[in-house]
Amino acid sequence: MSKDVKPTRKNLMAIEDRIELSERGHDTLEKKRDGLIMEFMDILDQAQDVRSDLDDNYERAQRNINMARAMEGDVAVRGAAAALKEHPEITSQSKNIMGVVVPQIESTKVKKSLDQRGYGLVGTSARIDEAADAYEQLLETIILAAEVETAMKKMLDEIEKTKRRVNALEFKLLPELHGAQEYIEQKLEEQEREEIFRMKKIKAKKEEDEAAENAQEAAEAEVETVPADG
Amino acid sequence: MSVNTEGSSNYEYVTARVRSRRAKLFDADDYRKMVRMGPGEIARFMEDSEYETEMNALGSRHTGVDLVEYALNRNLSKHFDDLLTWADGSLYEYVANYLRKFDAWNVKTVIRGIYTDAGREEIEDDLIRTGEFSERTLDRLVDATSVEDAVETLSGTIFGEPLEDAYEDFESSDVLVPLENAVDRAFFGHLLDDIGQPEPDAPTALYREFLEAEIDFRNLRNGLRIARSGAEISPEEYFIEGGRLFDGEELRQLASNTDELVTAIRESTYGGDLSEALDELESAESLIGFEHALNTALLEYSEKLSNRHPLSICPVLSYILAKEREIENIRAIARGREAGLSVEEIEEELIQ
Repeated sequence: MSKDVKPTRKNLMAIEDRIELSERGHDTLEKKRDGLIMEFMDILDQAQDVRSDLDDNYERAQRNINMARAMEGDVAVRGAAAALKEHPEITSQSKNIMGVVVPQIESTKVKKSLDQRGYGLVGTSARIDEAADAYEQLLETIILAAEVETAMKKMLDEIEKTKRRVNALEFKLLPELHGAQEYIEQKLEEQEREEIFRMKKIKAKKEEDEAAENAQEAAEAEVETVPADG
Repeated sequence: MSVNTEGSSNYEYVTARVRSRRAKLFDADDYRKMVRMGPGEIARFMEDSEYETEMNALGSRHTGVDLVEYALNRNLSKHFDDLLTWADGSLYEYVANYLRKFDAWNVKTVIRGIYTDAGREEIEDDLIRTGEFSERTLDRLVDATSVEDAVETLSGTIFGEPLEDAYEDFESSDVLVPLENAVDRAFFGHLLDDIGQPEPDAPTALYREFLEAEIDFRNLRNGLRIARSGAEISPEEYFIEGGRLFDGEELRQLASNTDELVTAIRESTYGGDLSEALDELESAESLIGFEHALNTALLEYSEKLSNRHPLSICPVLSYILAKEREIENIRAIARGREAGLSVEEIEEELIQ
């Protein structure tokens, strides 16, 4: 770039303005990146906890359903599951974390009491209750994990994007602008030096011409004052 | 099926046949072997056992552990249907009353099937064709196109009236709870029919005691489940009349506090038999161990009765329970092995 730019004072001023703006942008983006990383670390801790809960809850739910299927029979478990009327619902809203829009998932009708599950109480057993309970718990954790992990993914994308911008400013744009600024300054200095040299040359020539003219004039005057008998 | 509910009962004939059937049940050694097998080996083991006919008949339609489970159910219906075929007079009534639990199962299966728009074949597969309903009644039930239709089909049976009463609730709430509770309560409510109040120490008196214990245990389990879950359910919805331990109001009061309920059980006639189960219930968070202990206590009690009164309903009842446990144990082993449970975990769940 530095070679493409015209080395004019106007361009130098424009580049100086851009450098100032870019440095300000760089500082702001760096702060944003650091802030995002701090937020991300918090979410990461939360995500790790949720992920570990998810694994535990999944294990527990699988174990309970396997036990229920083993002891009550597959048909009884399927029947109890089929009796469910009120299916869980989720609504998604969004919230803003340092300019990153992340989802906020609200769930309803996930945790149910014994009378809301649809199956009769008299002919079923605690195994089915525990399997239903474990799956409700698992579903709640899945919804939370979806919220936290989506937020984490979006934050990560934003951190990457901000990092790329900071790096582009720091390692590409600013060095190029500084290079251009230096190039123009050098060129302008060179032009100035050339100008001075030229001026000096002109001045010397002018003085030389003046001296020659003066000498000629003096010679002419000398000729005019020579005596006639001479 | 020829049914003779008039005249005298044929206890000698039925108990002799039941003894021979009972001898064919799997023993602890069989379970020990099966627990160490994979699902495929279990299926092969069953093909060489009492379950051969059912495994072969269903082999083309089902596979894996589903095949085992359907074969178990079909075998169970065959054996219990035989009991109803053999029994006459009041013995038939007693057995039929008890086996109505499968009628209740079938009614719930059909209603759930209709409710979830399941296909006819799917519903039929899940039926256990034993109990008092004839094949024709079951077919009409499966042909029902709506829950209302199914309820109408059942008018004239013990489930008819309670279902009609519960149908309004179902229509307004659109959940199956009232219908399912009505079906189960109708079964338990008629369990003590035809027994009357026999002389103390007569076999039927002990049989009555056993059924009352079963009703009490059912009320206990449900009371504890409600106490644990914190749901506010009125006892009228789940309480079964006929037990000796509580009335509905007592259970409602106790159901709000697990500790009080446990103390009440300890002080009751079942306190001795259930003390270990209650200790476990107090220490563990799960009700499963307690339910397991209730089932074991019932089975042990039925065996005790069977030995005390060899020529009565007691050995038949004991056989019914033992056969049900065998089905449950085999299913637990097959499903447990399929799910990768360890030998120890499965053995803990078996009731012997």
